[in-house]
Amino acid sequence: MHRKRCLIVENKKTAPGHWVMKLRCPEIARAAAPGQFVQILCADTLDPLLPRPFSFLTADSKDISILYQVVGKGTKILAALKRGENLWVLGPLGNGFSICHLSTDYLLVGGGVGIPPLYHLARTFIHKNKYSPADIHVFLGARNKSLLLCEKDFKKLGVSVYVATDDGSKGHKGFVTELLLDRTASVGRKVYRTRSANIYACGPTPMLKTVSALAQKYDIPCEVSVEVPMACGFGACLGCAVKVRGWKLEAGSKAPNCRFAIGCVEGPVFQAKELVWD
Amino acid sequence: MGLNLETTIGRLKLKNPVLVASGTFGHAREFEKIIDLKRLGGIVTKTITLKPRLGNPPVRIVETPAGMLNAIGLQNPGVEKFIGEKLPYLRKIGIPIIVSVMGHSVEEFVKVVGRLESEKGFDGYELNLSCPNVRYGASATKTSARMFAHDAVMIKEVVSAVRKMTQKTLIAKLGPDVSDIGAMALAAEEAGADAVSLINTFVAMAIDVEKRRPVLGNITGGLSGPCVRPIAVRMTWEVHKRVKIPLLGMGGIMDARDALEFLIAGASAIQVGTANFMNPRASVEILEGLRAFMKKEKIGRIQNLIGSLNSDE
Ligand SMILES: Cc1cc2nc3c(=O)[nH]c(=O)nc-3n(C[C@H](O)[C@H](O)[C@H](O)COP(=O)(O)OP(=O)(O)OC[C@H]3O[C@@H](n4cnc5c(N)ncnc54)[C@H](O)[C@@H]3O)c2cc1C
Ligand SMILES: Cc1cc2nc3c(=O)[nH]c(=O)nc-3n(C[C@H](O)[C@H](O)[C@H](O)COP(=O)(O)O)c2cc1C
Ligand code: FES
Repeated sequence: MHRKRCLIVENKKTAPGHWVMKLRCPEIARAAAPGQFVQILCADTLDPLLPRPFSFLTADSKDISILYQVVGKGTKILAALKRGENLWVLGPLGNGFSICHLSTDYLLVGGGVGIPPLYHLARTFIHKNKYSPADIHVFLGARNKSLLLCEKDFKKLGVSVYVATDDGSKGHKGFVTELLLDRTASVGRKVYRTRSANIYACGPTPMLKTVSALAQKYDIPCEVSVEVPMACGFGACLGCAVKVRGWKLEAGSKAPNCRFAIGCVEGPVFQAKELVWD
Repeated sequence: MGLNLETTIGRLKLKNPVLVASGTFGHAREFEKIIDLKRLGGIVTKTITLKPRLGNPPVRIVETPAGMLNAIGLQNPGVEKFIGEKLPYLRKIGIPIIVSVMGHSVEEFVKVVGRLESEKGFDGYELNLSCPNVRYGASATKTSARMFAHDAVMIKEVVSAVRKMTQKTLIAKLGPDVSDIGAMALAAEEAGADAVSLINTFVAMAIDVEKRRPVLGNITGGLSGPCVRPIAVRMTWEVHKRVKIPLLGMGGIMDARDALEFLIAGASAIQVGTANFMNPRASVEILEGLRAFMKKEKIGRIQNLIGSLNSDE
């Protein structure tokens, strides 16, 4: 974990309401793993007060980049910043995706601003772990064509890309999980014993729930990255509770076997089977 | 110029007056990569209870203008696991460790402290009489008070019961939601507390207007951060006039100038809370800022600043 004042190398709009910011911070960049995140102080004032969490989109030896959607106070300020300005960045933080070597199919499922960490994952698989792009299948969901994030970037990596939009303006009309179903049905262990697969998902909660249920049905190991409100981002406040399977606090107690995990340290990536959805 | 930042809280000599506040510093380990923990005046642990607590369901935190609400619900591993898993690390840091404890009743306070008394490696207790996010049981409901810190009689009962059990430095942590904070501090002093900490968070609330629902899972939460600081400073000043025991001041301290306000108002030490979330180095930066201020103002001893308010009262 490093805390650095980082130079903004680039800050540009890439889709309606979506921006990519590149920051110079070699220490953080070199340590960054897919699924991990940074905490960024959007302003040096007292309002907004808390830092905002963002996943890595990329991280190389010098720079990191994030892809963010403008939704409120903090991201509005970020979007107005110019190249040459500086921001406080803390990271890398959290528990990222695990890199599994046994799998033959890597199924990456993303929606909205859940897509950036999956791009980082796919890049790492190919560039660092030397996996064949042919084994990587990326499922992207968006409301419409113009909000489809990173599609071209994934294609450049040579991976297979499957697209779904709510309005049908590109690819399948409907949910991205419907596309995933076709694939999982053919690679799931219960169905097809000779192939193995791993699912990695990040996006809106309903999507994550559906993906987790699919993974369970077809007995495919699945990791999901969840979004929870955070204050510190490194385990100091316990504000980022995520309900996971746990133990009985007291013998004989009627309370369910669950506990609140610290989302920023134990997560944001969890094994899907650990999570308890409310 | 050699600067002397030493300050005393009960039996405890601190090498400087900058501590970190309960619940805002994990169990310290989270910060080891980013600051030299040995530089701190002391550490107050997350509040520990007799039995483990799961904590409140999400959402637990929400930002508000220049502040935040939290409703963590005292998630903690319980006193046994604290002793087994957290205390050994804290002990090794080599600076004063103050264990924050809480019970749902006087009896429970006594049990937690009783268990800790057989352990070595820490220096005092901070009695959390003022957590806004838990429900209190048996002896707390003898009165209509929502928490111990709301009722001078209850404060006395808890503090004197614990006082009988320990020689260690005993600090009572007060909550701000009272009409006369001075009276609450006086009750703690009379019952044998060595010091009082103030303030805990204000009970507060945020509403999601589209959903017409409270933002926090617990409905209400505790307000902290720079928005509460002027009230916390006023309370420190009021309490300083009422009691002789030392005060640990806190509430929205972000930098050295904020810390100085508390010291000048009468606090013998300060605690850094919410600021740790924005900047995990805040505590040591505040310490450096205090030194710089003392040099600039040619003040050799921090004691000369404590309670140094010039007012025409
Ligand atoms: C681990 C992690 C990784 C993330 N990665 C990314 C990423 O790569 N890209 C990305 O774009 N985002 C990402 N996010 C989400 C991102 O952190 C938030 O979108 C960001 O913090 C918003 O900040 P803001 O100040 O702009 O919005 P805020 O002003 O904080 O508001 C955010 C949203 O919450 C709502 N909201 C705020 N306060 C309240 C309230 N009191 N009651 C009800 N609703 C409220 C707002 O209406 C708004 O829609 C990630 C989050 C996590 C936890
Ligand atoms: C997330 C969070 C958790 C807290 N947990 C505790 C706690 O367990 N025990 C306690 O006595 N105070 C707790 N507090 C209160 C702080 O110790 C402190 O009294 C308060 O936040 C005011 O200081 P600040 O404005 O600098 O944060 C907590 C505060 C926050 C923000
Ligand atoms: S955000 Fe503070 S502990 Fe996770």
